[in-house]
Amino acid sequence: MISRRNFLTAVAAGTVSAAALAACGAPAGQTGSAENPVTITYTWWGNDDRAERTRKAIALFEKKNPDVKVNGNFTDFAGYWQKRATEAAGGGLPDVMQWDLSYLRDYAQRNQLLDLGTVKINTDAFDKTLLPSGQIRGKTYGIPTSTNAFAVYYDPAKLKEIGVAEPAGTWTYAEYKDWLTKIGQAGGGKYFGASDFTGIWWQFNIWLRQKGIDAFTGDGKLGFSKDDLRTWLNLNSDLRGTNAVVPADRSAQVKPKSPFGSNLTVSENTWDNFMAGYLKDSGAKELKLVPVPSDDPDNLGLFLKPSMLMVASAKTRNKDAAARFIDFMVNDPEVGNIFKTSRGVPASKTQRDGTTFEGTDKAVVDYETSIGKYLRDAPEPPIVGFGTLEAAFLRFNEDLNYGKLTVDGAVDQWFKEAEDVIKQNA
Amino acid sequence: MTQTLTRHRGTAAAPPARAPRRRGADTRAGYTFLLPWLLGFILLTVGPMLSSLYLSFTNYNLFEAPKWIGLDNYTSLFQDERFLQSVGVTLGYVVFGTPLKLAAALAVALLLNNATRGQGFYRSAFYAPSLIGASVSIAIVWKAMFGDQGPVDQGLSFFGINLGGWVGNPSMTMPMMILLTVWQFGAPMVIFLAGLKQIPQELYEAASVDGAGRFRKFVNITFPMLSPVVFFNLLLETIHAFQIFASAYIISNGEGGPAGSTLFYTLYLYLRGFSDFRMGYASAMAWLLVIVVGVITLIFFRTSKSWVHYSGDSK
Repeated sequence: MISRRNFLTAVAAGTVSAAALAACGAPAGQTGSAENPVTITYTWWGNDDRAERTRKAIALFEKKNPDVKVNGNFTDFAGYWQKRATEAAGGGLPDVMQWDLSYLRDYAQRNQLLDLGTVKINTDAFDKTLLPSGQIRGKTYGIPTSTNAFAVYYDPAKLKEIGVAEPAGTWTYAEYKDWLTKIGQAGGGKYFGASDFTGIWWQFNIWLRQKGIDAFTGDGKLGFSKDDLRTWLNLNSDLRGTNAVVPADRSAQVKPKSPFGSNLTVSENTWDNFMAGYLKDSGAKELKLVPVPSDDPDNLGLFLKPSMLMVASAKTRNKDAAARFIDFMVNDPEVGNIFKTSRGVPASKTQRDGTTFEGTDKAVVDYETSIGKYLRDAPEPPIVGFGTLEAAFLRFNEDLNYGKLTVDGAVDQWFKEAEDVIKQNA
Repeated sequence: MTQTLTRHRGTAAAPPARAPRRRGADTRAGYTFLLPWLLGFILLTVGPMLSSLYLSFTNYNLFEAPKWIGLDNYTSLFQDERFLQSVGVTLGYVVFGTPLKLAAALAVALLLNNATRGQGFYRSAFYAPSLIGASVSIAIVWKAMFGDQGPVDQGLSFFGINLGGWVGNPSMTMPMMILLTVWQFGAPMVIFLAGLKQIPQELYEAASVDGAGRFRKFVNITFPMLSPVVFFNLLLETIHAFQIFASAYIISNGEGGPAGSTLFYTLYLYLRGFSDFRMGYASAMAWLLVIVVGVITLIFFRTSKSWVHYSGDSK
């Protein structure tokens, strides 16, 4: 039988294992070796499709640069940032990384990224209005690989199936909502209109731009008021709970896929470079893009955003090799042809010209061309902690759709969170 | 008390008593063998724990040097609605999940104890879930089982209960998580089984002679004799329940949703530390958990005196 003594030992062991949780926070890192040929590490987020394309690009790079070996490694988007945070804490960020605008300031302002002005990367073929989006306080930390623009996606086959007309070019919010309502009615619970568009941060950001408001001020504060956010969330109040909006419990179950990629909805508002991913997820033959709604026909609030950037670690031991790899990834025409529009439309002209766009890739390029006259300057890189705020924006909207929060409650809670984040990072 | 020694292979039993006196050489050899574990414990557990204790008093974003802010992390915890929500979710899970799991474990152990044939097979079969239960793949299977049109949804619909998928329904995710832990009752069951084997048969024989029924035997013999094992299991399972992470992370896609219904304490801690880059805050949460688990353990020990009977005790 168990004696009191060894019983105590066992319990102590159990308690210690609980305490071991407290021990998170000091992970180890790794760096490439400086032998000949030098090895650099490269990491990116994405699905299998991107992994395949990236491997091809790396093989091509190694062929053209026999003195450099690239060690590639990838994860999904959410896990990506958790991993980078751990590596940064341990001082072991990979040499070269695919990067997102949302996290540029977080890492650049904290001296984690290499000032790319100190190395040789050719940016002659880039649109001069695009490069500043990779710059923080006058220094270049990221080179855009490609651009994307916000759009409303829809599946023409599903619209035909349920007998709802395709949208015709530009539209107002009233027209857009009317269209969603029709889909909801005709879809009869099999298809819903879309996800609650008021939960999408960038859609909100674009709506603010349509009203001439900047989401963030130059000194890292919020540029809009609680009333703005309240008006925004109320814009869709009448559709929540109807079939125009996919029910929260349905979309929660298909995660990490989107309701649109899971064939629950007929449309979705997001960046145009998601095309390849959506096609693969949903199995649809064709998806179409139209501009986001606006009540001001001359100002759609649209802009070209770097869909992703290439950055290097401030601590890389192989600056030269890292710079060559970045230069290759953003400029080489053959790389453009490998990725097509799966990273977005190639940002450098040499790469764009070297790429043949067909089918759905052409649809993305055509969309960006068609909205050319509406494009305005891109906003500055988002504030430090933006990733947290964007996640909270979506979360409170989910709670709203579950009926766990009111619009006023969601507004108050998001602002509280935002003020907290801004204070933390001041 | 006399004991019939029918000790089982591989089950929990008292180690052989320590031999009277060892010379210094033996002690050194002992420590040498212990060294790998000891070093690991100091470097990988104690060291990081102490540094996290320090970090819990700082504002630390993983990139810059930690800034000392005193007790701010601890005080702001209690104004954080998500934190309070995570406490509620975790307590609900511990309070309902643990007793249910132990009850299931004890019930099955009692049944198996009486089995004459195939006991080894059943024991392995029931134990298997707790071996694989914590794995990522099982969480994924669970998510599929309880999703829209999953086996559970279809099974219930057959009986006219239309709940839809549990995964997306904030009021059904907790029962789902509790079922997942109850299903892994194998580990405490094996320990119960070992404890049951140790209860002297003559006690039951004597009780039978006195005309005691099955229920009386359970209340007056089995449970008191088993109480140290029950206590042991209760304590370990409670501590485990507080630490639930992997399954919640997988099922909620790392977000603690829907509507925060699977925002377990450790998951929120993880999100705070690694998504929001607030490692000081996360460290404070970790230490609060250590303290709370410690206090609960202490309370268990204090109250145990009234219901746990050790064989060596005179009372």
